[in-house]
Amino acid sequence: MSLLRIAKRQEPLGVGGSCCVLAAALALSLALAGVFLALGGTSPLSALSVLLHGAFGSRHALEDCVLKAIPIYLCALGVAVAFRLKIWNIGAEGQFALGAIGATWAALTFPELPKVALLPLMAAMAMAAGGLWGLVPAILRQRLRTNEIIVTLMMNYIAVLLLDYLVYGVWKDPTSFGFPMTPLFSDAAIIGRIGGTTINWGLAHGLVLGLLVWAFFRFTRTGFAVLAGGDNVRAARYAGLPYDRLVFLVMVASGALAGWAGFVEASATVNRLQPSIMVGYGYTAIVVAWLARLHPLAIGVAALLLAGLRVGVENLQLDLQVPAAFGGIIEGAILLTVLAGGFFTTYRFTRRKRP
Amino acid sequence: MRIVKAVLTLFLTLWVGGAVAADKELKVGFIYVSPVGDAGWSYSHDVGRQAIEAMDGVTTSYVEAVPEGPDSERVMTNMARKDFDIIVATSFGYMDSMLKVAKQFPKTVFLHCSGFKTAENMGNFFGRMYQARYLSGMVAGAMTKSNTIGYVAAFPIPEVIRGINAFTLGVRAVNPKATVRVVWTKTWYDPATEKEAGKSLLDVGADVVAQHQDSPGPQEAAQEKGVYSIGYNSDMSTFAPKAHLTAPVWNWKVYYTKVIDEVRKGTWKAGSVWPGMAEGIVDLAPFGPMVPKEVQDKVNAEKARIIAGEQKIFVGPLKDQSGAVKLAAGAVASDEELLGMTWFVDGVIGTTK
Amino acid sequence: MSTEIVIALLAATVQSGTPILFATLGEILSEKSGVLNLGVEGVMILGALVGFVVARHSGNPLLAFVAAGLVGSAATAVHGPVCLWFQGNQVVSGLALTIFGVGLANYLGTAYIGTPAPGFSPVPLPGLSELPVLGPIFFNHDPLVYVSYLVPPLLWLFLHATRYGLGLRAAGEYPAAAVAAGLDVVAYRWLGVVGGGFFMGLGGAYLSLAYTHLWTSNLTAGRGWIAVALVIFAFWRPGRAVFGAYLFGGIMALQLRLQASGAQLPSSILLMLPYTLTVVVLVLSSWRKGSSDEPAALGVNVAPVD
Repeated sequence: MSLLRIAKRQEPLGVGGSCCVLAAALALSLALAGVFLALGGTSPLSALSVLLHGAFGSRHALEDCVLKAIPIYLCALGVAVAFRLKIWNIGAEGQFALGAIGATWAALTFPELPKVALLPLMAAMAMAAGGLWGLVPAILRQRLRTNEIIVTLMMNYIAVLLLDYLVYGVWKDPTSFGFPMTPLFSDAAIIGRIGGTTINWGLAHGLVLGLLVWAFFRFTRTGFAVLAGGDNVRAARYAGLPYDRLVFLVMVASGALAGWAGFVEASATVNRLQPSIMVGYGYTAIVVAWLARLHPLAIGVAALLLAGLRVGVENLQLDLQVPAAFGGIIEGAILLTVLAGGFFTTYRFTRRKRP
Repeated sequence: MRIVKAVLTLFLTLWVGGAVAADKELKVGFIYVSPVGDAGWSYSHDVGRQAIEAMDGVTTSYVEAVPEGPDSERVMTNMARKDFDIIVATSFGYMDSMLKVAKQFPKTVFLHCSGFKTAENMGNFFGRMYQARYLSGMVAGAMTKSNTIGYVAAFPIPEVIRGINAFTLGVRAVNPKATVRVVWTKTWYDPATEKEAGKSLLDVGADVVAQHQDSPGPQEAAQEKGVYSIGYNSDMSTFAPKAHLTAPVWNWKVYYTKVIDEVRKGTWKAGSVWPGMAEGIVDLAPFGPMVPKEVQDKVNAEKARIIAGEQKIFVGPLKDQSGAVKLAAGAVASDEELLGMTWFVDGVIGTTK
Repeated sequence: MSTEIVIALLAATVQSGTPILFATLGEILSEKSGVLNLGVEGVMILGALVGFVVARHSGNPLLAFVAAGLVGSAATAVHGPVCLWFQGNQVVSGLALTIFGVGLANYLGTAYIGTPAPGFSPVPLPGLSELPVLGPIFFNHDPLVYVSYLVPPLLWLFLHATRYGLGLRAAGEYPAAAVAAGLDVVAYRWLGVVGGGFFMGLGGAYLSLAYTHLWTSNLTAGRGWIAVALVIFAFWRPGRAVFGAYLFGGIMALQLRLQASGAQLPSSILLMLPYTLTVVVLVLSSWRKGSSDEPAALGVNVAPVD
């Protein structure tokens, strides 16, 4: 037997201790990534400096991070709502696509509307489309006992192909020389930037929606019911909670939030719909939501960090010619070590008295 | 407190350290849509990049796998801020982002591949790949016995459609009875799916398979079935020595070295350039040993006509699949018509949707 | 469509289903022990790369195939400590493994792009391949396909007729009871995770050694995710996994052949078919009551005992 024994902590590790664990985990993963860099002939220290500088080292970099974090944050918020009830919605990617489609439909159909009317309409259509895409697996799950993981996953592929179908077909811009993209949105359909920054007002949307989600779970009866249902399905049913309706509700909300992300991305950053709008934010969102333990504020931090990592890795490519794939190595390593580090917040090693 | 200070100092050094002054060398940055490891499109551009890297006084850098849209805008802005002199973006979807960035950095030269928008400091370029496609079509048309030729294609965008049309015109020029069947995979490099698409064409009777795809998957399918294939991007004969007839290939080096010289001398002007076989930016890979001498001669003669400017390929009368005349007799398609081509010529079986 | 084309289609079905089948069976083994592994895609691509590299350097495809399996096991062994020792969340750990594996394979594989390597070619089975209809569909493939025929029954036998299989299932169904009965649950879960990784690695290697003989970045192109979905589709049963993998592979092959024979449908719509039909078939089959063999403690970590 080993000299160490595992014991459960009487009280969870405090903030200071958690930070130490987190720092140790990060250091370990960066060391691992450093080994790969050194093997590839790049100095790990200069790489770290370039990475951090590119991610957080200037105003521009920070703005870029926030910009990239917004859609990830919204999708992760949606994912978290469903996960609270232990409904495994991995369909944020598809719901994001549907949101973008819904918003685009409004933008293309009513380009003349004033901004105050068009933007809310686009948001509503995005939420409706995304919510509907979330409702389908919920209905199949509750009525026909079909596993939601597989349905949401398959619906991601279908949604992306539906988006393809639209931009390659009916919505194709006649002036785009046949390339798959819709016409540019009218000015009224574009979410503007905040002051002199490059950050768009989607940031404010995210803050408000995050606050709403937080308040929903903190203060409302339904929110509490979702938490209770997530803790114990059977008990919730005995307690007379309308479980089916809760499932429908969280899946619609989840889809609507991801749909909102699609709306922000189409309107504010791309200004039109095109296939390249799909870059996997819906999948990143799952990681972010879990890392943040489904808490809205922590999701914001995690989204920002992950966005920063991705932005920083571009800098690494540009300055040191490190291949793009390296980003995956470092991201994966950080996730794995941070995850393993979580162990130390609830358990501790103690030395055995006698071997 | 001391830790905080140390961290801050580190941060500041990083900040300042990152902003190194630019040296006098010409800095050229490339943005690729896929990993250089796609063995196809991005790779062919990277071969060109390596050629200019070898030039004196030029340093290059690239960022690969950059999604079109906001990510590309960020990467380009970042390059411009780092005092890159020339920024090259090699995918159509980068066009709008590049236009935005170009307006913010008027001193930087921006080059966009495969688009149509320009600015004072932004030019676009492409190669007349359809010329080489036409010639490869002639080879395919001469070699087919079943008069069915397969074409594995990526996405229904004008560049691909134009290539299929030119290929079909080449096929029909030597073999009016042959038809070209098209399968879309909606992938650029998924070798397994692309090979399966090649096999599906062989199953319906095709005995030559061409491709607009970055992986040699379709080549393998042809080799295994014992029929012929036409490659793309670069000479793919190593993957299917018994099947590979020839391949239309890119040679971006020609353009990149020229543009570097122009920028250095100050003679570069923004505009659209679309060089072709005459300039050497596109070519035909060496013929496989199974291509008979008379076919080779015929194709080479046509190649000479293309280089001399006598053969424009898209010359009327041209009909689409429904038989409607798209180009009147004697008319030559304009560059705009070619860039925005969304219909198949008569002789193609498939849909552009 | 003529009979010939239908037979060709079914033969293609078997081939395009095989990589997914290997990976699905691996995931079933892992999940049966109670460990959800969403890292299939990352493990598969590492298997594909290592298989290719070993084949290229050793010239021995069989060695390469086995090496790919072992690397698959090694890669999933990353998942083990995180989930089995450190109680990390299985969903995130798996996703992280996918991100890590794809990154690592693409990073290390750059040098091998565009290089040839030996692999497996079709070997008609004497006698069996002469059978009408069945011969060309099932017995005119590369040897790895024949290997894939053997795995589902063997896996079923392992799970249901051996002591180890029983222990492994107990670890996935009632870990607490299994511990009380004196079983080393963590060891059984290790067996499930690492054994599952072996088959995922084989699935990846099938792509680079038999389906094609190439290596490029992102060679697996999402097939690992399909495998994760098919485990649920298969109700955690090896036999149904065969059906699921062939159904998916078959519809993929079918939609390409529909295009090749000149169907006038937009390609986006045709490409939706495999995903749509998978959902439809799943809905139809989950209609019946009590048909799933989902392990009760799937995704639930076992607290360290002491």
